Amino acid sequence: MASSETQPRFGQSVKGLLSDKVTSCSGDVIALTRQVLKGSRSQELLSQAARNMVIQEDAILHSEDSLRKMSIITTHLQYQQEAIQKNVEHSKNLQDQLKHLMKQ
Amino acid sequence: MAATGDEAAAMESISKAPVPPTDLTLTLTAEPEHKTDATENQKAKRPSNNNDGGVETAEEATEPAEPDINELCRDMFDKMSVFLQGELTATCEDYKLLENMNKLTSLKYMEMKDISINISRNLQDLNQKYASLQPYLDQINQIEEQVTALEQAAYKLDTYSKKLEAKFKKLEKR
Repeated sequence: MASSETQPRFGQSVKGLLSDKVTSCSGDVIALTRQVLKGSRSQELLSQAARNMVIQEDAILHSEDSLRKMSIITTHLQYQQEAIQKNVEHSKNLQDQLKHLMKQ
Repeated sequence: MAATGDEAAAMESISKAPVPPTDLTLTLTAEPEHKTDATENQKAKRPSNNNDGGVETAEEATEPAEPDINELCRDMFDKMSVFLQGELTATCEDYKLLENMNKLTSLKYMEMKDISINISRNLQDLNQKYASLQPYLDQINQIEEQVTALEQAAYKLDTYSKKLEAKFKKLEKR
């Protein structure tokens, strides 16, 4: 098959045949490369992965926002606990006074 | 030898195609007009013509042609390699994009992990402090009960004093 292609055809020179052969070989290499890339489906899978990541980004940002709000609420609870601690220390005196009143 | 001469002549004809016609006219007499075996025979005849001087035509005729072929071949392979690199670079760039996105997402998750660790530590401290406050809260409940009992006693005292006032007024009228 190769010999029949390389033998000079009627009206064609060896130079023309060689250039045609080089062109066809380069075209085959290009087609092979594209077929390998298409067959691996890497483009589809990677673009799908990027799309899924973009969809999840909204949920991630919302989660981060919720966590920051929780930290702020925890800080407020700490402040409230300190205020309760201060005020609760007076309850002992109150209880003693009430006991005294009830005895009377 | 004749076959190699024919091949050399064929290579000469191929190499001399991109060369401007001026070069062709300089090196070959009838090549632009004929592209058959006759020209190849004429080319093949050249070495025999110049063999009279002891120098082979193949060397003389192909020396200027080889650099063109070599340069053309190099250029062709360079461009093929650039094309193939470009084809593969697209997939590489997709991978790099995904890698960067994953790195940023991991950084975000690390920040969220730190925040959640702080929150859990603070909440544990708060639970311990509220547990320590429990006796005080019990005291407050007792105080509330005592205050309620005191309020009931005050109401009873109030009604008794009102009854006593009414009796006293009745006795005073008599």
